[in-house]
Amino acid sequence: MREILRYGAVLALICITAAFSLSMVNSFTKAKIIAQANAEEQASLKEVLPQAERFEAVKSASEVIYYKAYDNKGNFIGVAFKASGEGYSSTIDTMVGMTREGTINAIKIISQNETPGLGTRVAEDAFASRFAQKKLSMVQEIEAITGASISSRAVTESVAKKAAEIVEIIKNER
Amino acid sequence: MKKIFAEFLKGIIKENPTFVLVLGLCPTLAVSVTVSNGIGMGIAATFVVVGSNIIISLIKGFIPDRIRIPCFIVVIATFVTIVEMTMKTYSPLLYRALGIYVPLIVVNCIVLGRAEAYAQKNSVLNSLFDGLGMGIGFTLALILISAIREILGSGKFLGHLLFKGFEPIFLFGMPPGALLVIGLLLGLFNLLKKERV
Repeated sequence: MREILRYGAVLALICITAAFSLSMVNSFTKAKIIAQANAEEQASLKEVLPQAERFEAVKSASEVIYYKAYDNKGNFIGVAFKASGEGYSSTIDTMVGMTREGTINAIKIISQNETPGLGTRVAEDAFASRFAQKKLSMVQEIEAITGASISSRAVTESVAKKAAEIVEIIKNER
Repeated sequence: MKKIFAEFLKGIIKENPTFVLVLGLCPTLAVSVTVSNGIGMGIAATFVVVGSNIIISLIKGFIPDRIRIPCFIVVIATFVTIVEMTMKTYSPLLYRALGIYVPLIVVNCIVLGRAEAYAQKNSVLNSLFDGLGMGIGFTLALILISAIREILGSGKFLGHLLFKGFEPIFLFGMPPGALLVIGLLLGLFNLLKKERV
């Protein structure tokens, strides 16, 4: 009985020390992690809609659904949103910039973990540029990369699906 | 001083964790796709093994023998979480590339193996150098494996295209390629060891 109490006390002491040191580290890094994520998001927004001056997040219960983009005169010029689809070995997240008229302006792959040399090529400019100035109805027909059809399809399909949803939301708002 | 240096060196070749002790193969197989991932994983694991070796050898007199494993795991998990938070702060890109394998350093048998086989019986200074040697040995092994796989599998090194017109052998970028490369390197290490004896 006394042994068990001693073991419990030792283990508890180690756990308390560990928890305390982790909370210290957390208090140092927490704010920076959030700032990093925000900076990355803003950079990718700028990349898919370079004409825009200001982005306004449209939220539903603290989750960002899409961003409204305004130019320097305050005119509404388009929207930007994140689409994600299941690729070959990972979830591929794409930032999409869409003009007010419903054409894709540009896309940027923000995170993926596909097979190097094959699936990772979806993140290269050669593939992303195939989306530039495409009408929504034509997105599904964008040519896939040879040897990376699953990854390519994950991008085209997720972009097309999410774009259709966003168009619907914007229509309802008007 | 000489003895400490020997403790450091043994992890690099004579007791290399990957090729001689054959420990921690799961993260090795999974992250050795690109050299930058390999280096990132190696540094993270080195930090954890050095940190846990120091702490465990410091508190070795305090830990009852029968509950040493849970105590080791708590110490190791603490260091892994610190690595995870630091990586998220300073290199979110690397964190995303390594994915689940960062938290999984907790169960990397190199770390627990060194705590069990070395740190709980040796002085703090020796444990520090043992951890450092093992960590660097693991990092070098990862760099070797991932360099072979990245060059053959995508024709690149550290993300830079090496030669034009080279048709990459995709197999090496995929899991079977990892098994092949590690298997052949293990065989090579055994051959070299035999010849020296």
